Amino acid sequence: MADRAIKLLVIGESGVGKSSLIRRFVENKFDENHDVTIGMDFKSKVMNVDGIDYKVALWDTAGAERFRSLTPSFYRKALGAILVYDITNRDTLVKLEAWLAELDSYSDNPNIAIIVVGNKIDQDRVVDRQEGRNFARKHRALFIETSARCDQFVSDVFKEIVEKIVSSEYFDNGQMNPNGMEIGSNDSDLDGNASTCYC
Amino acid sequence: MEELLEEVVPSEDLQRFERKYHRELESDGWIRIETKFEYAFCLVRSRYTNDVKRGLMLFENLAHEHPDGRRDYIYHLAFGNARLKNYTEGLKYCRAFLEIESNHQMNLLEAYMRKQSDREIVKAMALAGGTVLFMALGLLGMGLAMVRK
Repeated sequence: MADRAIKLLVIGESGVGKSSLIRRFVENKFDENHDVTIGMDFKSKVMNVDGIDYKVALWDTAGAERFRSLTPSFYRKALGAILVYDITNRDTLVKLEAWLAELDSYSDNPNIAIIVVGNKIDQDRVVDRQEGRNFARKHRALFIETSARCDQFVSDVFKEIVEKIVSSEYFDNGQMNPNGMEIGSNDSDLDGNASTCYC
Repeated sequence: MEELLEEVVPSEDLQRFERKYHRELESDGWIRIETKFEYAFCLVRSRYTNDVKRGLMLFENLAHEHPDGRRDYIYHLAFGNARLKNYTEGLKYCRAFLEIESNHQMNLLEAYMRKQSDREIVKAMALAGGTVLFMALGLLGMGLAMVRK
């Protein structure tokens, strides 16, 4: 049943909450300690969209600098990318430009679906919501703000990107290639308005 | 965990870091920590056992040479041993790591290896049990044959 696989990447600076978002989504847990991810981690979850089960493979990449040169192979065959920044640290949003450039150069899927996620809305905000939204719009990506700690809008991140992928004209819903190759999503009609508003 | 352990490094990546490693060795006579790390990282994810073993040697070397990066190295020592199904050895590294720092990834790796090694023990016991049963049946058969005579 769940043999329709969707590979998603989670990227962004160290400490923005990539692993926490995944953990909240998959296990509904949150750990106050920041365990710096070593290399990469993997979790999967079956998601049902319009009555169809999809096995969503979530590849969590280390934000730490020393792993940068090593992660390119994990970009391959990804149908979607979740770009995370921390709304209490502007630099993490600025650095997403560099992460997008990496995605551009390493991804083998020109139609990869992208969602920009501003995490830690339970804390004091430094980055205005509009700044994040503008960044997402500029790159024709979806946008959402979340709190992994308080479980706010976390599942929406995954729901939105998976829906985007499966509704794409590049995604063959009937006869999907289980390897997920050559399948992507079209984001021609995408702009920041597609974001989920939390306020 | 299975997916993570089964993920194989693309050979072009392995070759790229291998070339970098040898280039530094030839031109400078020594290898930068990062280069060694990159090469070892790819080696332990290779489909070939000998590559994984070589990767483990490099990580052991790195753990001595560069204590600051030790958590990355010890994790990979556990990870590489898990890929080789050397669970006893792998679990040693897990424990060494977890004594210093609690870590979600390491907890999962440890739980996985423990489960696998328990499973192997059960399998070995079943096999031994099966052998004993087989021998008992054989003896019984021989006994019956002798009684019939």
